[in-house]
Amino acid sequence: MAEFLANYGFLIVSMVLGALLGLSLYLPLMTGQLSLASPGFYALGGYIAAILSTQVFKVSGGLFPIGLVLLEMLIAGVVSGILGVVVGIPALRLRGIYLAIATIAFVEILRILSLNLDITGGAVGIFGIPQPFQTPLEYLWIALPLLIVSMVILYRLERIRVGRAFTAIREDELAAGAMGIDPTYYKVLAFTLGAILAGVVGALSAHFLNTWNARQGTFDASIVYLTSVLIGGTRTFVGPVLGGMVFTALPEVLRAIADTAGLPLWLAQFLRDGRLIIFGLLIVLGTIFFPQGLVTPDLLKRQRHK
Amino acid sequence: MDFTLLLQQLLNGLSIGSVYAIFALGYTLIFSILGIINFAHGALFTLGAYFTYALMGERFGFNGLLANVALPVQLPFSIALILGSVLVGLVGVAIERIAFRPLRRRRADPLLTVVSSLGVALVIVNAIQYLVGSESYNFPVNTYGNLPVAINFGTADKPITIRTVQIVIFAVSVAIMGILTYCINYTKFGKAMKAVAEDPITANLLGIPTDFFIVITFFISSFLGGVAGTLVGSSVSIADPYFGIRYGLKGLAVIVLGGLGSIPGAVLGGLVIGLVEAFVPADYSAYKDAFAFGILFIMLLVRPQGLLGRRFVQKV
Repeated sequence: MAEFLANYGFLIVSMVLGALLGLSLYLPLMTGQLSLASPGFYALGGYIAAILSTQVFKVSGGLFPIGLVLLEMLIAGVVSGILGVVVGIPALRLRGIYLAIATIAFVEILRILSLNLDITGGAVGIFGIPQPFQTPLEYLWIALPLLIVSMVILYRLERIRVGRAFTAIREDELAAGAMGIDPTYYKVLAFTLGAILAGVVGALSAHFLNTWNARQGTFDASIVYLTSVLIGGTRTFVGPVLGGMVFTALPEVLRAIADTAGLPLWLAQFLRDGRLIIFGLLIVLGTIFFPQGLVTPDLLKRQRHK
Repeated sequence: MDFTLLLQQLLNGLSIGSVYAIFALGYTLIFSILGIINFAHGALFTLGAYFTYALMGERFGFNGLLANVALPVQLPFSIALILGSVLVGLVGVAIERIAFRPLRRRRADPLLTVVSSLGVALVIVNAIQYLVGSESYNFPVNTYGNLPVAINFGTADKPITIRTVQIVIFAVSVAIMGILTYCINYTKFGKAMKAVAEDPITANLLGIPTDFFIVITFFISSFLGGVAGTLVGSSVSIADPYFGIRYGLKGLAVIVLGGLGSIPGAVLGGLVIGLVEAFVPADYSAYKDAFAFGILFIMLLVRPQGLLGRRFVQKV
C-alpha cells in the first residue's frame, strides 16, 4: 500500500485537482452557460501563487509554510472572484455561442499577456516554486478537504433557492425571468463562483507542479476539462467530480493498457500517444449518445431506491 | 508615420485581412445555414495546408507515423491546391455526417453541436500530429513557379515591397468572395441555399432537399478553409498542427466583428482585423493577437450582432 501511494501519489492528487476543475466548469453550466473561461482563472490563480511565493514571501531553507499557501489560495480566490464579476457582468448578457466566443477571447488575452509580461516570466514562465510538503501525496492534506468542502457546498447549493434558480435559468431563461428570477444576477453569481474555485485550484496547482507557464490555461486545456464535465454529467455535481478524476487518470490508464503484453504494436503506440484523439472521439460520441453525460440525477435516484 | 510606411502597412494589412476574410467566409456559410459555429474549421484550415504539401510530393519529417513517406507523384502547386482543398471539402462532408447530422436529427441543444465540433477539432489536430509530427514544414521554393519572389517599387531610399504570395492571396480571396457573392445572390442554387437558411422545414416542404444543401454548404465551407490554409502555409510555413486553431480563434473575432452569418460582414471584419494588426506599433507587436481579441470583446459588449449583422430575436 505504501509503495502504491508513493508511486501514484502524484496521480491521486492530480485526480483530486481535476475533479475540482471539473466543478469550476460545472458551476456556470448549472445556469446553462457554456463558459470556457475556467482555465483562464486557473492560470491566473497559478500566477498569483507563483509570483507571491517566489518574490514576495521569500522563505529561506526548509519547507514553505502551509499557512502562506492557504493565504495565496485565498488571495487567488478573491482576485479571480473580482475579475469574474468584472468580466461576468458584461459577458453574461451574451447567450450561447456568443458567450463561448467571449470567454475564449478572455482566455486568449490572458494567455498573450502572460506570454509577454516580465512579471510572469514570459514564455519560460516561473519555476522553482517552493514546496510546502516533502512528497506530492501530502498535497492531499489541502486538496482533499477543498474537494470535500466544495462538494458539500454544491450538494447544498443544488437543494436551496439559489441552486434551483440556476436550474430554472438553464431549463428556460425567459420563463425563469417571468417568474421573478433575475437571470443576469444568478448567471454572474454562478460564473463568479466557478472563477473563484478555478483561481484557488490554480494557486494550489502552481505549488504542486513546481512550475507555472502560459501553457497552463490554453484553449486545449479548456476542451479537455470540458470533456470531463460533459462526459461525467452536467445535471448533478457528482458528474464533474467523477469525470474530472477519470479524465485526469485516463492517460495513465491508457498507458497501462498499452503496456499489457500481446497487443499489436500500432495499437499500443496509439494508446500511448493518441490520448487527445481518444478524448476528441469521446467528446463527439458523448454528445451524440449521452447528451446529459453519464451520471444523471435519474441514475443516482434509481440507485438510491434499490 | 510617413507615407511609404503607411502604404506598405496598408498592403500588408490587406493581404492578411483577405486571408482572415476567406477563413471567416467558411464559418459564416455554416452559421447562416445551421446557426452553429463549426469549431473544427480551424483544423480543416490546417488539414488543407498538409494535404497540398503532401500532394506536391513533399516528404514528411521523422516524428510521426508517416516519417519519410512521400507520394510517388509530384503535382504542381495549383493542381495540388485544388485537389487538396477538395479533399478537405470531403472531410467537411464526413464531419457533417458524423458529428452534426445525428444531433440535428434529434433537435439537440445547439451548444451540444458546438461541443461536438470542438471534439472533431481535437481529433483532426492530434491525428495530424500523430501522423506527421509537430515540426514545421516549408513549401518548396518553386511553389509559385517562375514568379518573382517580390515586387519592389517606390524610390530607392523608401522602397515598398510586396511579396508575390501576398498578391496571390489577395487575388484568390477577392475572386472567391466575388464568385460566392454572385452564386448566393443570383443563381437558383444560391436562392435555394438562402431558403434553407431562412427556414429549413418550409424549404423542405417546398421541394428543396435540405440535407443536400447542408452537405453542399459544408463542402464549400471546408473547401474554402482548405484554400485559406494552403495559401497561408505557402506564404510562411506550416508552423505545426495547431496553426489553424490559432487562426481559427482569430477567425471567430473576424466573424463576430463583421456580424455572424453575414457574408459582406465576414469580408469587412477580415479586412478590419488585418489592417488593425498591420498598424499595431512595432513595440507592441507581441500583443497583436490581444488587440484582435480585445476588439472582439468590446464588440460583443457594444454591438453583439456585429457591424453588418442582424439582431437575433430570441424565439419563445
